[in-house]
Amino acid sequence: MNAPSANASNGHSVSASKSDHPEFFQVRVLRQDQPGGDCYWQRYRVRYESDMNVISVLQRIAAQGVTMDGRAVAPVAWDCNCLEEICGACTMVINGRVRQACSALVDRLLADNPQEIELRPMTKFPVVRDLVVDRSRLFRALQRVRAWIDVDGYQDQGAGPRVSREDQEQAYPLSQCMSCGCCLEACPQYTKIEVLQQAGESAAEAQARTEAAYDHGFMGAHAISQAVLFNTHPTGQMAASQRLEQLTAEGGIQVCGNAQNCVAVCPKQIPLTTSIARAGRAVTVWAWKKWFDR
Amino acid sequence: MANVSPADSSSQPFLARHEFLIRRLHSLSGLVPVGAYMVVHLLTNASVLESPAAFQRNVYGIHSLGRLLPVVEWVFIFIPILFHAIIGVAIIRGGLPNHGSYPYARNIRYSLQRASGIVAFFFIAWHVFHMHGWFHADWWLKTVATPLAGAQFKAFNATSTAGSAIQQHWLVSVFYAIGILACVFHLANGIWTMGITWGVWVGPIAQRRAAAVCTAGGIALAAVGLGALGGMATVDVEKAKQVEDRMFHHKLEAGEVPNDSHKRTDGDHKDDGQPADMARK
Repeated sequence: MNAPSANASNGHSVSASKSDHPEFFQVRVLRQDQPGGDCYWQRYRVRYESDMNVISVLQRIAAQGVTMDGRAVAPVAWDCNCLEEICGACTMVINGRVRQACSALVDRLLADNPQEIELRPMTKFPVVRDLVVDRSRLFRALQRVRAWIDVDGYQDQGAGPRVSREDQEQAYPLSQCMSCGCCLEACPQYTKIEVLQQAGESAAEAQARTEAAYDHGFMGAHAISQAVLFNTHPTGQMAASQRLEQLTAEGGIQVCGNAQNCVAVCPKQIPLTTSIARAGRAVTVWAWKKWFDR
Repeated sequence: MANVSPADSSSQPFLARHEFLIRRLHSLSGLVPVGAYMVVHLLTNASVLESPAAFQRNVYGIHSLGRLLPVVEWVFIFIPILFHAIIGVAIIRGGLPNHGSYPYARNIRYSLQRASGIVAFFFIAWHVFHMHGWFHADWWLKTVATPLAGAQFKAFNATSTAGSAIQQHWLVSVFYAIGILACVFHLANGIWTMGITWGVWVGPIAQRRAAAVCTAGGIALAAVGLGALGGMATVDVEKAKQVEDRMFHHKLEAGEVPNDSHKRTDGDHKDDGQPADMARK
């Protein structure tokens, strides 16, 4: 790849004057070679180009293959996919705040901290390697709350029930969740659970132990919000009590501490705390019925 | 797969199995009876600002429960506070405050809720010891509570004993001010989060309004609490004691109160029924 000139020439450069940005900037990456391994910081020097995002920074680091002190190292591993903030794969902690790498623009990051850009993997999920984490706990929680609509067979079942405009407008924002994990990373009640495969243990056994551990932990804002989404859907409602049962099981909605960081960091601006309060009301009524309707 | 239930529920420990119920009881106990008790407690104490006799009258009202009072204390005050505190510690241990990375107002309040809970726990433990002594047994009061500057409050000399306990040292007032503010913040913010937990205020606008109401209520209660503290810190202990002793002997003659030496400053020497202030006059 050609090293583009520091003074990128496209007219709509973000910086007002070209002297505003440095020729090079530093990137500090928290690396880890394998699950459960030690982590360590590594610094890289990257030549500034206009309109970079963190993904393109990581591409440059991979291309140059050396740290700031000239040591040849294995390229930093990271996940990415859509590059337009709708898949959630490139979520990481950038300058101390969880967000998607693809929409983290270098010009903005350098405006906040001209010294360097700091990249860390999310702290609430087990690290697979470098910036790649295993978010299976997030998906496990979606399974717990049955975050889907049951379709019984493939035959034509006719038109579904009508959904009012009001319900649609309430449901649409919740349906935008991309399972990125920002809400969980920022949540003080969501603490890391990491289960490592032990010597002599099969992968299936380790998997079962991991899932059992996940089911004791907090499910998180995303799962509560998805439970609310599918409980407002006319067909989804048919499994409403199963979802409410899970919301009140261990690690359910009661673990929420109302810090409300989830709604503050959600890149899709999903009203997560409204969902949490809505689910809180639903389980209040449901628990009352469960105990006194029998 | 589709049917995901957390293991076999009967094999889980009790606390995990009933996590929802326990958290909801913790939430409820913060309002009723603990929070409600605190409001009544601070309002009663603030009556010292009216007059030492007004506060003494209120205390007589409370102590008119007689031998039922310790039962009421334990069932509606001590046990709920202990439950709230113990579960609260468990809740604090389960979280990882991160206001450093995410310094949003509500996240800071999340951290403050936990910090104020810890402050309140130690303050209340010390405050109950300081005034009440924790236990009524004679040997405890003689060998532990009194030597350690505890059990100073005497119900039939309410204003003078509470006043002198506060006026012992200026640090006592400082500790009380910190403790009261921690408790009031914990209650006001706790009511706000409780409203979300139980689904009373759901949307962001409703939550903002509720926060405004809780803030106003918290400021008002803080004023009541600090007013009560200020009243106790400035009350004339000697004068108050004379008023109390007159009230006591009046009530004793009327047969309204028992001659309980535990509830009087110098009750030990007055079992002959001679009015204490008579002798001084």
